Formats: sequence, structure tokens, C-alpha cells
Amino acid sequence: MAPVPFLLLIEDDDAIRTGLELGLSRQGHRVVSAATGEDGLKLLKEQRPDLIVLDVMLPGIDGFEVCRRIRRTNQLPIILLTARSDDIDVVVGLESGADDYVIKPVQPRVLDARIRAVLRRGERDATDSAAFGSIVIDRSAMTVTKDGHDLQLTPTELRLLLELSRRPGQALTRQQLLQLVWEHDYLGDSRLVDACVQRLRAKIEDVPSSPTLIRTVRGVGYRLDTPQ
Amino acid sequence: MTRQRGRVHFRRWTSLRLRLIAVFALVALTAAVSVSGIAYWLNRDAVLTRAQNSALDDFRDSLQRNAASLPAKPTCQSLEAAANRIGSPDTYQALLIADAADGRCAVTSDRDSFSLDDVPASLQRAVNTPHQQDHDRYHLHWERIDLQGHPYLVAGARINDGGPTGYMLKSLDSERKDLNSLAWSLGIATLLALVGAALLAQAAGSAVLRPVRRLGEAAKALGEGRLSTRLKVTGTDELAELSATFNDAAEQLEKRVEELRAREAASRRFVADMSHELRTPLTAITAVTDVLEDEAEALDPMIAPAVRLVVSETRRLNELVETLMEVTRFDAGTAKLRVDEVDVADMIMACMDARAWLDSVELDAPRGLLATLDPRRLDVIMANLIGNALKHGGSPVRVALRREGGEDGEVVITVTDHGPGIPEEVLPHVFDRFYKADASRARSEGSGLGLSIARENAHIHGGTITAANGPHGGAVFTLRLPVRPRAGEEGAGRSGEPSGATRADVAGTGHGDGTPGGAR
Repeated sequence: MAPVPFLLLIEDDDAIRTGLELGLSRQGHRVVSAATGEDGLKLLKEQRPDLIVLDVMLPGIDGFEVCRRIRRTNQLPIILLTARSDDIDVVVGLESGADDYVIKPVQPRVLDARIRAVLRRGERDATDSAAFGSIVIDRSAMTVTKDGHDLQLTPTELRLLLELSRRPGQALTRQQLLQLVWEHDYLGDSRLVDACVQRLRAKIEDVPSSPTLIRTVRGVGYRLDTPQ
Repeated sequence: MTRQRGRVHFRRWTSLRLRLIAVFALVALTAAVSVSGIAYWLNRDAVLTRAQNSALDDFRDSLQRNAASLPAKPTCQSLEAAANRIGSPDTYQALLIADAADGRCAVTSDRDSFSLDDVPASLQRAVNTPHQQDHDRYHLHWERIDLQGHPYLVAGARINDGGPTGYMLKSLDSERKDLNSLAWSLGIATLLALVGAALLAQAAGSAVLRPVRRLGEAAKALGEGRLSTRLKVTGTDELAELSATFNDAAEQLEKRVEELRAREAASRRFVADMSHELRTPLTAITAVTDVLEDEAEALDPMIAPAVRLVVSETRRLNELVETLMEVTRFDAGTAKLRVDEVDVADMIMACMDARAWLDSVELDAPRGLLATLDPRRLDVIMANLIGNALKHGGSPVRVALRREGGEDGEVVITVTDHGPGIPEEVLPHVFDRFYKADASRARSEGSGLGLSIARENAHIHGGTITAANGPHGGAVFTLRLPVRPRAGEEGAGRSGEPSGATRADVAGTGHGDGTPGGAR
């Protein structure tokens, strides 16, 4: 990981793009920006950024589609810029594979905190490994394998799995997970957890619709079980 | 609903329809009874008079013929023979009385059924009384009597110039039978007329009442908001005219309501669009405020305050636009609940901690009180209530939390300050938008939307906020929220199971929180 976070900002409005570029550079990031989704995808291939800040409302292919296209090949962290917190946009964005979202107008400080929190998720914090059924989590290499094959997890998905695997068989509430994984305060959006669990299940469970590893604990949250 | 309908039905039945039937029946009864009565009496008179006249004429002739031929002092035998000649079992019985040679003698044609005792005394008197006006001659007199339940005509006459006195007795049984059957026929006819009248009244009532009922139903539908309700206009009578008037009125109403709705929607859309449009420049400005703020220290002392002003006012503007957007979401009905089971005391504590209010607020909240609610909305409510108390009331502000009711009870949070309280005339308006108790108050007092938004946030949970003055002065705001979202509340059916949630599901259920499923 580069010492100075290298961000790709995709935002169509010139003023917002310039403002965010200024603000984020000021917070110590290196920023490269694009005005459309197509340009952004092109820049992504050329520049290899650490993280993408993506506006939802884009001319041409919209933010969700950009998000989906990135996820096909890349597990880069993505933070969405959205207009409303209780909008359908957030849900669709999270389902498309975004790791977190911020609501416009956003202060660069808040965005910076989110960016750093997302980037921290990829950092190694232990050197052991654990196995849950066919899933093996290698905490030193920060990789997860299923039946010996490498799984492509985003840093957020990986961190969620790590936090759950650290307390196997113990239910964690959504708010706990929001604090552990997303580093959100008490008003964190639990949809982040639900969407991430859903994506994680799609990758690690044999049958995602009837999960045996990540179980829902009704009225509480989620729990990682060792399959019987 | 059903009861009311039943009552309306009953009332309708007792009123117009029944009254119509009663009036029709009364008219029919009066007409039929008077017609039958007159017909009966005329008939009876005619029948009786004819029978009577023919009998009397016959009797008079026969008496004249047979009695006049008798000698002045006839014997009883000859008298009896004459009586037998006069009377016959087919027509009438005769009774002759005379001062015979062998004393007073009374003979009848049929000894068993007629005697002088059957002749009323009044008739005997009349028969034996000579008429002064008619040269003291005797006349024929008659009377109708009833013997052992059978009607009879009895008549008597005295032969003038010392002849015998003759009486006759004629049975009127056959006439009575005829008249009785006539009365029966008339009675049945009357009854039929009555039934006919009732049926006619029913039909007429239906003909009148059906349109009236349709009109009533249409008016009800209109009242329930189905403004497209129209009546079918048939014919040219008053009811058709009324229906046409109703249709016109409904059309006008629909047009007006549509206009008003369109205008309201337009103004709401304007506010929504405007706050949305403000957001883009605000986002750009906000992005650089941090830069400006950091640099303010190093700037010219003349410029630094200007920069700080721009920064702080930009934040205020941000908050205002955010608040406006929240209001438009409530107005448009698109505000959504995203519930989670939380410890209410922790939430209040965190809300106060985030705003550095822990030192100025006394908190009396037992931990462990769990409720299913939208944490962000509870935070908005508490921030507004406590912020309002700190700003307008006096310290110390006291926040108390308790639970009322059983399993599906309520969380009750009271925020009490020690200020002067709220004037009585202001109390009903404290939750109004942009209402300021004191018009001269500076705008720095807040957006004027805080309490209104707090209340909207309580309502969307199915809860309430009320404002009052405490017994020892100071304002008391009481927030009541259901421990569990009540059925039918928006977003209540949230589940913790994200698998299988698709965009279509979300749009279909209208929750928009991406996790459809059963209630937690």
C-alpha cells in the first residue's frame, strides 16, 4: 500500500470535483479525477489507484454500473457519493459492491475519515489462520480460500469475515459490526452490514440463500458458525 | 359501519317508503270502503224494497179479494179458509183476526210459525189506529223484524168498514243471503284494492327511492374522496335534474381539488427541487471550507474573520438545506423508517455526548430498555428537544426515560427545563414550522423547523410529542414512541435477513431499506 493514499474521484460536476480535489489533497491524498464513468474506468486501468470515490449520478453509465463493472475484475474499495441517506440509491449502490457511502454535501474531513477507515480494512493485524468448513482464512497473507481456490474479497468483506471469525459462534450486532469494520459512530447505517453480509455470502457460502457459515441471529445480528 | 348502514336502512324504511304505503293504503281504503258501502246500501235498499213492495201489493190484493168476500160476522172456519187462501208457504203466512159469530177469532195459514205474538205491539197499534186525515180509514202498515235470528217482513191492515184485520209474515232470508254474499264480494274487492294500493305504493316508492338512494350513495362516495363519482341521468323529471346538478357539483369539486392538489404538489416540488439544486453548489463550497478554515490563522487579520464567517455560514446553510430536504421528504411521504433494536438510554447518552451536552443535562435513564426504532430519527428528535430546552429554557435540563405499558408498550422520554415555560397562547404552535414565539427574536435561534421535524419523526414511528408547562414552571416536552413499530407503520416489516433482497423486492414492498421479510 502506497504511503500516500492514491484516490480516483469520479464526479461530473466541475465545481464539486475541483472542490473535493482541493479538499482531499489538503488532507494528504493524491487525487486523480474523471468527469464520466467511461473516463473513470479508463483511468482505473492506467493509474491503479488505492480507492475510488464515485458519484452516483453520472451522465452516460451511472455510478452503479461503474461500480458493477469495477467489481467484475477488481476488489478495490469504493466509496459512493450520494444525494440522500434514505434513498434507494444507497441500497442499490451497496448491492452493486460499494464499501461505504457519504452524503452530499460532504466535508473533506468526514470523507477523509471514511477513506482511511476503508483503507485500514486491508491492513494485516494478525498472523494466524482459521478454517470454517471449506473456508480457510489466512490472516497473515490476508487471503481467503474456499476448497483451495482463492476468493476475491474486497477489503471490507475481508474485514467483516475477520471480525466474525475472531468470535466464532458469537453473535455480533449490526452496530458492533459497524464500529468494528466501518468505524462508524452510533448512528451508522445498518444497511451497510446487511449488504456486505449478502455479498460475502454470495462468495463463501455453497448456497447463498440458505447460509451455513454466516448465520442471521434474529433481533441481534450475525454469527459465524463452523458447519456441522 | 354495518350498524350505521343498518340504522340508515331502518330509518329510510320507516320514513318515506312506509309513509307512501300508508298514504296509498289509506286512500285505497277510504275509496274502496265508501264505494262498497254506498253500493251495498243502495243494493240492499233496492232488493228489500222490491221484495217488500211485491209482497205488500200481493198481500193487499189478496186480503182485499178474500176478506171482503167474507160475511160481516164470519165463522172461524170461513176465516181460516180465507187465511189459507191468502197465505201460502211459498210466499208468506197470513193471520186474520175478526169478531166472529162465535166470539173473537184469530186464525193463521200456518199455525206453527206465525201467531199474533210475533206481531210487534207497535205495528198492531198502528194497524188498529184509523187515520184522521183519511176519513178515519185504516192503512196498511209494515215493519221489519227479527225472529230467532231470521229477518222477516211483517205487515198488517184492517179491512175498512168493519172487516177483519189481516197480518202477513214474510221471510227475508233469501234477500239476506243475497245481500250477505254481496257484502262478502265487496269486502274481498276492498281487500284486493288495499293490496293493490300497497303494491303500487311499494313500486312508486322504489321508483322514487332508488334514485334517491343512488344519490345518497354517490354523495357518500364523494365525501370519501372518490371525486370521479358520477350519476347516470335518465329521464327529465325532478330526480334526473337533481342527478344532473349533483354531477355538475361533483365535477366542479373534482376540478377544484385537482387544481389545489396540483398547486400544492408544484409548490412542494419547487421546495424539493430548490433544496436539491442548492446542494450541488453547496457540496463544492463545503469541499473547500476545511481548506479555508485551516488557512484562516495564517491570513490577513482583516480577511480571517470574513473567511470564518463564510465557513460557519456555509455549515448553517448546509444544515438548513438538509432540514428542508427532510421536511420535503415528510411532505412527499417518502421518509422511511430504518429500524433497529437499540438500548434507548445508550442512544440518548450518545446523542448528548456527540453534542457535548453531558455536563449541562441531568439524565435519568435506566439502561437495558430496548426498543425497535430508527436510531437516526431518535437522535434527531432528542437533539432538537434537548437543544431547544438548552437554548430557550433554563438549566438544568432534565431528561427522564421510562417505559409504560406491557409487551407492546411505549417508551416515554420527558425533557424538562427550568426556564420561564411556554406562554399558553404559544403552546399550540410550538410544533408549527417557522413559528417563533417572539417575532423580534434573531434568526440565530435556529431554523424554526426543529420541533416540527422532531414531531414528524415521532409520528413516522407511530409516536407523539406533546408540549406542556411543568407544575414548577419550565417547559416539559414528552415524547412517546412505541417499543415496537406498530403494524402498518412504514418500514416496520424489516428483517435482518439480507439474502435474496433484490431491487424489485425493495420497490415492490415500498420499504426501500433493502431487507424485506418478516418483522424482527
